[in-house]
Amino acid sequence: MELAIQTEHLTKIYGVRVIAVNDMTLRVPTGAVYGLLGPNGAGKTTTLRVLLGLQRPSAGFAKVFGHPCGPNATNVRAMIGYLPTHPVLPGHLCPIEYLELLGKLCRIPRQIRKPRLTSLLRAVGLLSATDRRIQTFSTGMRTRLGIAASLLADPPLLIWDEPTAGLDPAARRFTLDLIRDLAKSRTVMVATHILSDIDQTCDHVGVMHEGRMIFSGSMHEMKQRLRRDDFCLELDGDCEDIRQLAERASQVHGIEIMPHEQNTVLVKVTEGCSRAGVIAEVLRLVDQSNLTLQGIRSTQNETEFAYLQLLQQDSDHGFRRFDLQSPLQEHAAASDLHV
Amino acid sequence: MPLQAIYTYELSGLWKSWLIRAWLIATMLLTFLIVTSNWAATPTAPLVAMLLFPYLVFPWFLVVLLLGLNPVTGSRLEALSDGILSRPVTRLEYLLASWAARVTAALAVLFVVIVPAVLMVSLADRPASADDPVTLYGVIASLAVVAIVMTFLVSIGFFAGTAFRSSMFAAAALILIWMPVNIVLHTFSLEEFSPISLNQSLPTLLRTPWNEDETSTAVRIAGGEDLQAAADFFSAMTGGRPASTKREPEFYQQGNYEDFSLARVFMGYGFPTLAALVCTTALFYRHDL
Repeated sequence: MELAIQTEHLTKIYGVRVIAVNDMTLRVPTGAVYGLLGPNGAGKTTTLRVLLGLQRPSAGFAKVFGHPCGPNATNVRAMIGYLPTHPVLPGHLCPIEYLELLGKLCRIPRQIRKPRLTSLLRAVGLLSATDRRIQTFSTGMRTRLGIAASLLADPPLLIWDEPTAGLDPAARRFTLDLIRDLAKSRTVMVATHILSDIDQTCDHVGVMHEGRMIFSGSMHEMKQRLRRDDFCLELDGDCEDIRQLAERASQVHGIEIMPHEQNTVLVKVTEGCSRAGVIAEVLRLVDQSNLTLQGIRSTQNETEFAYLQLLQQDSDHGFRRFDLQSPLQEHAAASDLHV
Repeated sequence: MPLQAIYTYELSGLWKSWLIRAWLIATMLLTFLIVTSNWAATPTAPLVAMLLFPYLVFPWFLVVLLLGLNPVTGSRLEALSDGILSRPVTRLEYLLASWAARVTAALAVLFVVIVPAVLMVSLADRPASADDPVTLYGVIASLAVVAIVMTFLVSIGFFAGTAFRSSMFAAAALILIWMPVNIVLHTFSLEEFSPISLNQSLPTLLRTPWNEDETSTAVRIAGGEDLQAAADFFSAMTGGRPASTKREPEFYQQGNYEDFSLARVFMGYGFPTLAALVCTTALFYRHDL
């Protein structure tokens, strides 16, 4: 499998005080849409900045398409289209001047640069704002200009850091659609803590917690980790009928049922019982009652549930998270080779 | 292409900054005041030296220091990393282009204001100018001396801006270091490099013809004094005492500044400028953005 991004034991410690990235190993396959997920302060942005060579790792290494990252790795940055969170742009420039500058920095010849920047401005919907200075732009317009800037050199890898932060619903929809479109022809890495963004766009996901990668794999693998033992029934009818349904259902083996929200009951499946059998039995009881079934839904978004479960498991592991053996073994193996 | 693009971008940003615009207006006003108030009474060479005094001693050296400060400090760092250094540009390319833009801006303000003023006071038929003509070589050499000092000031500003993350702290540190520079230079018998000494020697330099300077410079180089001065300078920079064979600073005692050496001044300011650039590059290379 060809890797677009690879990090091995990547560690970043700021000023011997703050551990931002903690012995992180990451592998992003070429062509993937990889969601880097984690709570605020998990080390997502630091990881991205190490990939760009803006920060130097304290230990370990990072590679992009097999090339090592670093402050002078211009060949690596030439392959990356980076969109920072709330991009800080030169306010005194107009969008064309800004993209023109970036085009020159990326060494794009004039014949390619000019048509590309005009078509990008059109694609991100900023054609009508080309005569305005960037300092007059809204957050959404700045993000769209940042997106155009990240695409200017037509890089094979896009690294977008919280691309939907601060956007209104329409701009958010535009950005997510764009990620899906762009993913057809390149590798995309999206760092975010918004789970629904990951759910809608990514096929691979990595979960970071306290600077460490606690899960990395496909979305399918992530959802497989999920143990879903409950669901909600939305019902239409009298409260008394709902109470009676709950009473009858609680006599069935394997079911715990309780009123949840208004006209909703929460059904919990006891461990070891068939979920399908329980659902069938509950639906039969609803059918026999005076209630009308309006919907069946999960109590939580699946990805959100899996994500929170991962974070909880990581915290529960306590001292077992201290993985002394594997780096030491590798070091010993390397020493043996040298001998 | 990136070097030129960053240079142009920085230069246009500087031109739009209030610091440069305010400085340009202030320097025009001050030059106008100096010229008009000394028009009738002051001979040409002292008048030109007087015009150059603010750049060498006070107050414009402060502006030049501040000008060098801000490319890699404070909030600019974020814009810099988001906009420029996340592209295929090396840090050295950014630093060189940014430094060159600042030097260009500082020298442009100097030349735009000073050259017309110097031409006016030298060519005009003034009562005080009859007995004290300045030479073309003298004018060019004097402007070059001021230019090299300003380049040095921008460079140490650049270094301080990289060494300290806060612009305010960097500015305070620079001013505290630069203010007592005459005392420091006196301690190491290097007063001829002090901005005040340079300004005092300018009238002599302004009257110097091209040929005379060539001859005297050749003699001095043959005598090895320039090399001795350079050795003393490096000795001072590394914290050592100047060599015991060091002669007394004659030109400073005589007060006529006839043994002023352009080459020595260029070495005295040129080497530290290069050193500041090298140190800035080394420091910036290690910075996390």
